[in-house]
Amino acid sequence: MPVRSLTRRNLLLATSALVPLLSRRAAAFGEKSRFIPAVARHGGRWDGRLSGLRRLAWELQRRTSVEVVPDARPFALSSPDLFEYPFLYFGGDGPFPALSDAEVSNLRRYLTYGGFVFGDANDGSDGDGFDASFRREMARVLPQSPLKEAPSTHVVFKSFFLLDAAPGRLLHKPLPLVASVGKRAAIIYSQNDVAGAWSRSESGDYEFDVSPGGEPQRELAIRLGINLCMYALCLDYKDDAVHLPLILNKRR
Amino acid sequence: MNSPSFNAWKLVSLSPLPVWALVLLGVGLVLGIALAAWGVRREPSRGRKLLLWGLRIGAGVAAFFFLLEPGIRHLQVARMKNRVAVLVDRSASMNFPSEPGGPTRSAQVAAFLEKAAPTFASWQDRFTVEVYGVDPELAPVTAAQLAQEPARAGTTDLLAALRSAASGGQGSRKLSGVLLFSDGADNTELKAGAVGRARAALTDLGVPVSTFLVGQEALKDLSVEGLKVDDFAFVRNSLTVEVEIHGRGFSGQDIPVVLSQEGKTVASKLVKMTTGDDVKPVSFTFTPDQTGRFVYTVTVPTFPDEAVSDNNSRSFTLKVIRDRVRVLLVVGRPSWDERFLRGLLKQDANVDLVSFYILRTLSDDPGVSNERELSLIPFPMEEIFDTKLHTFDVVIFQNFGYSDPSLSIAEYERNLERYIHEGGAFVMIGGDSVLGEGRASMPTLMEALPVEAAGPANADPFKPRLTPEGLRHPVTSIGTGAASTEGTWGELAPIPGANLTRARPGATVLMDHPFMTVDGKNAPLVSVWDYGRGRAMVVATDATWSWAFTAHREGSPNRAYDRFWGNALRWLVRDPDLTTLKVTADPPSVEPGRPVGVVVQARMADYQPAEGAQVRVELFSVATQKPVAVQTGTTGADGVVRLEFAPPAPGPYKLLASAKKGETDLGKGEDAVAVRAVGPELSDASVRPTLMEQIASITEGKAYKLPQDGMPDVPLLDPPVVEVGRAKDQPLWDRWYYLVALIALLGAEWFARRRFGYV
Repeated sequence: MPVRSLTRRNLLLATSALVPLLSRRAAAFGEKSRFIPAVARHGGRWDGRLSGLRRLAWELQRRTSVEVVPDARPFALSSPDLFEYPFLYFGGDGPFPALSDAEVSNLRRYLTYGGFVFGDANDGSDGDGFDASFRREMARVLPQSPLKEAPSTHVVFKSFFLLDAAPGRLLHKPLPLVASVGKRAAIIYSQNDVAGAWSRSESGDYEFDVSPGGEPQRELAIRLGINLCMYALCLDYKDDAVHLPLILNKRR
Repeated sequence: MNSPSFNAWKLVSLSPLPVWALVLLGVGLVLGIALAAWGVRREPSRGRKLLLWGLRIGAGVAAFFFLLEPGIRHLQVARMKNRVAVLVDRSASMNFPSEPGGPTRSAQVAAFLEKAAPTFASWQDRFTVEVYGVDPELAPVTAAQLAQEPARAGTTDLLAALRSAASGGQGSRKLSGVLLFSDGADNTELKAGAVGRARAALTDLGVPVSTFLVGQEALKDLSVEGLKVDDFAFVRNSLTVEVEIHGRGFSGQDIPVVLSQEGKTVASKLVKMTTGDDVKPVSFTFTPDQTGRFVYTVTVPTFPDEAVSDNNSRSFTLKVIRDRVRVLLVVGRPSWDERFLRGLLKQDANVDLVSFYILRTLSDDPGVSNERELSLIPFPMEEIFDTKLHTFDVVIFQNFGYSDPSLSIAEYERNLERYIHEGGAFVMIGGDSVLGEGRASMPTLMEALPVEAAGPANADPFKPRLTPEGLRHPVTSIGTGAASTEGTWGELAPIPGANLTRARPGATVLMDHPFMTVDGKNAPLVSVWDYGRGRAMVVATDATWSWAFTAHREGSPNRAYDRFWGNALRWLVRDPDLTTLKVTADPPSVEPGRPVGVVVQARMADYQPAEGAQVRVELFSVATQKPVAVQTGTTGADGVVRLEFAPPAPGPYKLLASAKKGETDLGKGEDAVAVRAVGPELSDASVRPTLMEQIASITEGKAYKLPQDGMPDVPLLDPPVVEVGRAKDQPLWDRWYYLVALIALLGAEWFARRRFGYV
């Protein structure tokens, strides 16, 4: 995949983009009240999109009123510390070994009592690789709540931006899969490597090309990421009756 | 031969033979006659045939007479004296004039009974005349009492009176008839007329009831009748009250009908009376906006020439309860605290949640060329903070405060402060934008809050401390007892930072910071107070979500977060179960002349029954805005005391209660009670001739109307005659000529048969 060259201009842009994250009272009132993505550390390749999460945090800060702490926090899935971070990114490249019983149990409790997992197949796999492992493990974690294709009317498509599909670096599957606990989507899973579209190199360039839609698709992937964060934070707020007429009007 | 003491006789059989033997012999006689008739069937001479038949029949009768041994029984008998019950309606409607400007209905009855006295005297050999007033029990009454003592019974129950008359009376005398004097204004069993069971009951009486209708139908009167309303209503849900306006003598007139709540007009309507005796249904639909018990009154004007003025208004109490708690959640920015609170409120079926979140401020750049790419809507500040504010039970500000003109609520701060003062409930949840931290100060709104900002926030994690007040307060009392509550709080995860605030005088601090202090006191974390008629609560952190989520990290599920916010909502909306002093009017609607009762239940701060608490209840007139009477009492072991006030004047009242145990104030409570101006008896001055005619018709009596010149010829059952002394039998058969006649008849027949050639 082509990588943009590190120019002085790009370096300055990338650096200046992080300034808002350091401003104001980022740690003045308990950073745990802010949005901090946690990252699931599993037995496979789990850390390929950390820069993408950092980029998403930056976009969230820039585009919405959400206050963030930009650095993603990796945790073992058996860690009780997960319960301080209700948003968990669970990505990977290639298959990963089965989770231990303690990890499955901890993750089940995490999801049951309010946690949210965004699953992301960094390898764009379908039926093998990360996809097979993720589906297998989530079936263990939430056996009563199988992953199902999200309807196009799901609130995640309107929680901030109005979207029609869920593209990432790829666009294998326009609609993500969802596993619900009650009425709340506890797991949203994409096979499109969404975080791959967010990822930037240390020089500030996007790390991966986006196909088939190119840069417009990357923008949609970023918007999807913001919608995912907004959904985790606001649940079905945009399904409230007060929003419906306006959203329907905008979708015409 | 008859003894002079015998005054009656009857024919009897003195035969010693049993009945069956007599029957057999009778049958034999009939057969003998039949055979004789058969034997001469071919006799061509009609005269001979008739002679032989006559002789055989005569012989048969003589033989039967011989067998029966007839006799005369001389008897000493007497005729029983039966009762005639005269029932006079003593319900309050009998005080109405019998005709415009005429005597009262009771006085008219009294005059008639005086006139009827000679008739009653003439009945004395056959009947005992008993005169009763129906009050509603039967009590002996005289014409003089009827004329002098006003009728006072609150109801008219004619059927019960008739039953009582039929079953009672002096000794074992039977009832021969009833004379019923009434206006027919029955408001119990015969209210709907003599139909169904009531009709059957009248038939079962078994005596004729002659009715005497008192009063004319052509009175001029306006009354509020037929009130239909539920005992309770839901706040902010429309409710319909139905009444009937009964107008007699108001044909063609427009009558204004007003519904008011404790002096404040709720709705009014105009009804047109089309006939001289017209009933117009009127319905009022309105939406109560506050919970509690209130007195409502339906009123029509009083005209100078009306027969009754007390029935021109009718009061009722209405308990307004909430169906669902309507919560407005305004969020400064999406956060985990908002996310978990929303999740909790949304899953509660008793909560109707309306949310507004600031998802984007002016300084945020969503990176879109067209707003249509966003799902955002404009923040409808005017709608929610002005026009719709009063529709919410609880308003929650969660880390909300902007100085940005497009998001600042400075213009609506006074509305919010007034909303709380006038009975609303408000919660401010802290965070890095409010309580001294933030983007804006809200000085007017802060007046209504139990704390004020006291400095920069402290971001050090801490375990909040339950204050003594918090240990027993319903908001923070999340365990089954004090120890359980303390233990549950102690096990919860630390809070990552808090706003620094200072409690205002009068505030109750339920939880505070263990080491952060203000003015030498620990900084409040959760504080509450009553502000005006409303309530306010401040949670000086935006991290209570950690009680909901972080608390599960060790795998022991708990519901502390749910209980804390559930308790808070119930306390904020004044859930009756969370008040320490519960006041209940007993009953909520009082008939005229009846005492006003009130039950007060006092509880301690830990919600245990307050035994021996001194309770003071004030009966406060809503109409005059003045206290009317005060009662005091001491609660029993269950914390309950019942007090009673002497019957007050009609109108709406409030029962304002307070209680103390020693020096401890147990709080205040109130309820409403309506003292009716008129009971059902006086609400209608009309007479009901049809009912009186029905009663007479069903019981085979006769219906009359007063005035009458004298007592008419009323139908009465004859008294029975009974044997009261000895009897003497005088045989009739033991005479020689009876036997001679029998032999002669048989001999004559034998001779005739021989002569006619039959032997």
